[in-house]
Amino acid sequence: MPVVALRKVSKKFGKHVVLDNVDLEVAKGEVVAIVGRSGSGKSTLLRCINGLEFIDSGEIAVNGRRVTRNLADLRRLHREVGIVFQSYNLFPHLTVERNVELGPTKGKGIPLGAARKLAHDALAAVHLTDKLNDYPARLSGGQQQRVAIARALAMEPVLLLFDEITSALDPQLTGEVVRVLEELAAQGRTMILVTHEMGFARRAASQIVFMHNSRIWEHGPPQQVLENPKNPEFQTFLSAILRN
Amino acid sequence: MRTFGPSEFAFLLAAVRWTLLLSLVAFCGGIAFGFLIALARVSRFFVLRGLAQAYIQVFQGTPVLIQLFIAYYGFAVLFDLRIEAWTAVSLAFTAYSAAFLGEIWRGAIQAIPRQQWESAECISLSYFAQLRYVILPQAFRISIPPTVGFLVQLVKATSVAAIIGFIELTRAGQLMTNVTFQPMIIYPIVAALYFVICWPLSQFSRLLERRFDASRGITQGL
Repeated sequence: MPVVALRKVSKKFGKHVVLDNVDLEVAKGEVVAIVGRSGSGKSTLLRCINGLEFIDSGEIAVNGRRVTRNLADLRRLHREVGIVFQSYNLFPHLTVERNVELGPTKGKGIPLGAARKLAHDALAAVHLTDKLNDYPARLSGGQQQRVAIARALAMEPVLLLFDEITSALDPQLTGEVVRVLEELAAQGRTMILVTHEMGFARRAASQIVFMHNSRIWEHGPPQQVLENPKNPEFQTFLSAILRN
Repeated sequence: MRTFGPSEFAFLLAAVRWTLLLSLVAFCGGIAFGFLIALARVSRFFVLRGLAQAYIQVFQGTPVLIQLFIAYYGFAVLFDLRIEAWTAVSLAFTAYSAAFLGEIWRGAIQAIPRQQWESAECISLSYFAQLRYVILPQAFRISIPPTVGFLVQLVKATSVAAIIGFIELTRAGQLMTNVTFQPMIIYPIVAALYFVICWPLSQFSRLLERRFDASRGITQGL
């Protein structure tokens, strides 16, 4: 059973089609990199997978259960799917430790002692155990983003979603975040990333998905897809990225 | 005829406690009821939002004096129930401050970026847990200066209660003026007594405003 399965998923914002008949399957342990130009529907796809947006037609299943608008189902979905955003979105009034343990304690109802252990393990995974008592405003962008990753990890999700998480960071900070992503991929975690980091996608992804105009045009293993792009739009996209 | 002396001053001073008590009751009642109004204003239920908005508009769009009259005479006319001035003024001012505080806090809650709600939702917090652990603590900090600022307005607004015969500071001033015919001694003293209450509050509010300056983002610790 795939961790995520999308079948004929379509969605509009008003008249504007953002997802057009999208099919996608992600097996356990897969790392899927979704690439494509801005506005091609990549972020909306992620947001639909964890119920932040709802689809108009088709079906999304996570861990074999359909994503619905039912509040109790959505809460369970959020225990299974972690997401990290481009703008970190840490809770500014809480310390790093409290940011990370809030989900386990108040989201999953885990006792504080066990939740703190989860939080510390998650922060260790992103190499930030020395920042437990700092407030987010005191951290660099890269550190804040790693805390956001830890916040998602502490929920022990079966699937992690990353929505352009390095786009707001300078190259050096991007490097430290990408390193964490590569470590997570190496641990066999199931991940879907919207990313412009083609180097990372090539090294760590098991599947690259190219989206354009709300549809998936090409997908497959990085070597196959990147060496031999069939779609002219994808060729243009790749050459634009490689020129930079 | 009496002249203004220590016993007259003592009468004014004694009335201060009613001004303070009325302010306190209206403020506390306003906090409790206004909190519910604010929650209703940001609720996802259309009807609750509408009701709360209507409440705020009515109480912000009519003079507090008229609200007071309606509270005072309304019970008598509608329910054939004579209520004491104290009951009427505390009810009216509670309703009044609930509308203003509700609106202040609605603004504070809506000033928190939508992404904070989303992030809280994405770690499986229930709606109320999102409010309690993520949104309200941040909104609280933003709302402290305007809330204290409103308290200053409220203390002064309670002077209106004098009209229906509730003996707070302003009414006490009127009574003393009636027996001494020395308005230009009594009223400056009444004004000074209000000032003594409000000035520290204003200063406190300014201090908080500097402390929670929006441009500096959220300050840690209170």
